Amino acid sequence: MSEDAKKNIAGALTARPNSDDQKLSPLPSPAPAVPPKKVIIKSADMIPDMQKEAVDIAVAAFEKYNVEKDVAEQIKKEFDKRHGPTWHCIVGRNFGSYVTHETNHFVYFYLDQKAVLLFKSG
Amino acid sequence: MEEAEKELERRSKFLNSLIQKKKKGIEQHEHESFKVHVRACDMPLPLQNRALQCARLHLESMPPGNKLDNKRLALALKKEFDSSYGPAWHCIVGTSFGSYVTHSVGGFLYFSIDKVYILLFKTAVEPLDH
Repeated sequence: MSEDAKKNIAGALTARPNSDDQKLSPLPSPAPAVPPKKVIIKSADMIPDMQKEAVDIAVAAFEKYNVEKDVAEQIKKEFDKRHGPTWHCIVGRNFGSYVTHETNHFVYFYLDQKAVLLFKSG
Repeated sequence: MEEAEKELERRSKFLNSLIQKKKKGIEQHEHESFKVHVRACDMPLPLQNRALQCARLHLESMPPGNKLDNKRLALALKKEFDSSYGPAWHCIVGTSFGSYVTHSVGGFLYFSIDKVYILLFKTAVEPLDH
């Protein structure tokens, strides 16, 4: 078995110096690119750097989770960790809200069809 | 024969009348008492009842057929609770959302009324550092 593994490794090594088109052709084929999500900042009382951070964390969360509650959890916990408690996050297609937030700690934005509300209070 | 026809017609009208009355009764009943379902709660009962009552009154006050204004209901609830039980309350109203929040002890209610979901929660207020 170990010899087979070694052979495979050797084979891979020897393949690289060769200019064989067949062997080289699969290399440059890129993975299908995921179209970037459309971001719209609807309302913000937050410094730009923090806004971008919120969007980036949200994008990552949507890629990782399907359930809105899980996305909200990920975003809130990340902000609690990075910027201190206490943050609150709402994610969804249809909701209205009225909240009290700390100055400079509120953002409401859309990622495609999903709205994200993130604010600090308490 | 004519008398039989008249009798059938009379009975038919009577039945239609009953059906109409029944329908009106049902509609009235439905309008007057939206179905309420408390889904998650950490809140004293009086406050719960206050929230449910406020939401119900808001829905009932809307003209029939009008679409619910999520933000308006959220504002109404938040204002009532801020003024009655002290700041700071937060309210989310909608048909499709998920949430993750931290709330004060005894200050959390998540319920549905008709087809709308409502999240109402309280957070501690920190004094401004001025």
